[in-house]
Amino acid sequence: MRDKDRQLQFSDVNDDIVRSLVVTGKNYYIALVTAIFVTLACFFFPWFYQLNYGIGAAGMNHPNVWGTYLASFIFWIGLSHSGTLLSCVLHITNSGWRKAMYRSAEAMTLFSLMVAVTMVLVHVGRPWFIHWAAPYPNQMELWPNFRSPLMFDVMAITTYLTGSSIFIYMGSIPDFAAVRDRTTGWRHHLYVLLSLGWRGSDKEWHRLGVAYTFLAVLTIPLAVSVHSIVSWDFAASLVPGLHQTIFAPYFVVGAIYSGTAGIVTVMFVLRKYMNFEHYITKLHFDNLGKLLLALSLLWSYINILELFTGWYSGTSTEYEQLRYKLTGFYAPLYWEMILFCAVAPLLLISNKFRNSFVPMLILSIAINIGMYTERFLIIATTMSRQYLPETWRVYVPSLVEISILVGSIAMFVTLFLLFVKIVPSISIYEVKETMETPKSKKGDAEWQATR
Amino acid sequence: MASNALGLFHDPDSALKAAGDLMSAGFERPELLSPIPLHGVEEVLGPKKSVIRRFTLFGGIFGAIGGFALAAGTAVMYLHPTGGRPIITIPPFLIITYEMTILFGILATVLGFLISARFPAIRERVYVPEVAVDKFAVTVLCEEADQFDRAEAILRQAGAEEVRNISEDGS
Repeated sequence: MRDKDRQLQFSDVNDDIVRSLVVTGKNYYIALVTAIFVTLACFFFPWFYQLNYGIGAAGMNHPNVWGTYLASFIFWIGLSHSGTLLSCVLHITNSGWRKAMYRSAEAMTLFSLMVAVTMVLVHVGRPWFIHWAAPYPNQMELWPNFRSPLMFDVMAITTYLTGSSIFIYMGSIPDFAAVRDRTTGWRHHLYVLLSLGWRGSDKEWHRLGVAYTFLAVLTIPLAVSVHSIVSWDFAASLVPGLHQTIFAPYFVVGAIYSGTAGIVTVMFVLRKYMNFEHYITKLHFDNLGKLLLALSLLWSYINILELFTGWYSGTSTEYEQLRYKLTGFYAPLYWEMILFCAVAPLLLISNKFRNSFVPMLILSIAINIGMYTERFLIIATTMSRQYLPETWRVYVPSLVEISILVGSIAMFVTLFLLFVKIVPSISIYEVKETMETPKSKKGDAEWQATR
Repeated sequence: MASNALGLFHDPDSALKAAGDLMSAGFERPELLSPIPLHGVEEVLGPKKSVIRRFTLFGGIFGAIGGFALAAGTAVMYLHPTGGRPIITIPPFLIITYEMTILFGILATVLGFLISARFPAIRERVYVPEVAVDKFAVTVLCEEADQFDRAEAILRQAGAEEVRNISEDGS
């Protein structure tokens, strides 16, 4: 074991990251088997039951034709924004502290997007017709209606999934090469393929730098558009409480907020269970804490604005919507959301709080519970109170829906657990960039004189 | 027979100096291999240009035209009048255009990267695994044996810890 006080060397980074890939303890296997089991039992089994029984197995019924499946879809898409924000924005703003954690953030993006897509498959009821959403020539000469926000979704999410997969892969090529040289067997063959023959020549680094910056610049507006489009799925309908112009920024801010909280959770787990104490430090938690505080204030502001515009509209339907949200059947959930997402994050003002690992973990989980509640309420409160009082109903998710929500979390955990053993979860070369480079043994003066 | 002289350095500054010295001594453009992107390479070996930006631009333009053509073309091919609105509806179609611009911009950037950095590598190239850890290497092509000796002298002079003779096929 390395002496904890000794300064980190370049070779230590390679050792630590390769170790995180190839040395696997019993706890990892227990976690993986549990996650796979829960995914099968709570996600796939209820889904097959629903496919067999019909969509009635879910608690959705008129007028609540949307339910937790779509709430989960928004939640997972939202969580995916973490990678984009932390990786792309901090990359083009040259923020060095991003380097130890961006790979995991990007992995979160990719896996939460995958889970989000499966939630759509579960929601549509007849997933074997999902290809109807794709524009392809067919005998009936039918084409998708590109005026619908649902088609915007198909195009945006396809682009986002493609873009984020490419982004995480491109950034990992030098690391695949570093790991390639240290592994044997199937891993070696895999990394030989993935590294494409990377050698780290000045030309390769230059090309990677240019391409990576272009990808970052292209991905930021893409991420903003993705969640804006998801919000239009709702805002473009004429349902009171959904038909609001603030929805696009509201969703984007909420997405980045829950994504950043998700990153705090993942960073805690990686730090503790993958032994990355040297890489993920208090500085990261402090900076993420400040970011969370700013986002919570922005999120609170938009929430107040939403209430205000509802009241200012002066229409009975909007009034009823507000009354129902604040004092109706779902009110306890609303106030739980306010507590978790607007009040509790104020603790982040304290330096001491931001620099404490366990309280940050608890808060990040609380924020994401609050954010899931937000997505649930957006759907449940509005669908339950539309224009005609005789259509008012209360929606309660069925066991199948709750189980699939739990299963989707397990699916995400499974994917992430597999990821940490295949892809270096901390960027080897970018961490080295933040470290002091070795100095000339001849001394700087001589070199400077010749330069 | 042509071979490559490869000098291994402990630090990037000495490697950069060696590369500069080799250039001044009339060798072909040397290559620097490093575990991290180096700063100051362009000062020593001259500026680098890449075609990636053109790929991105043309990919984006192709995506924009293609995206709009997809939305407008399919709307014309399958008429679906809705509430008296135009068949080719600009605002929603611009969203499809926007997404396709980004999608093809990204795909073209990747293609540009692969072509300009010559990936995936098919032939064996000069490489030593130490450069993925903590060493910095300078390699230069030597057509004749006396060239190798000169290159070795320059590399050692700049502070190379070790100089290796690597034949053309990378062995």
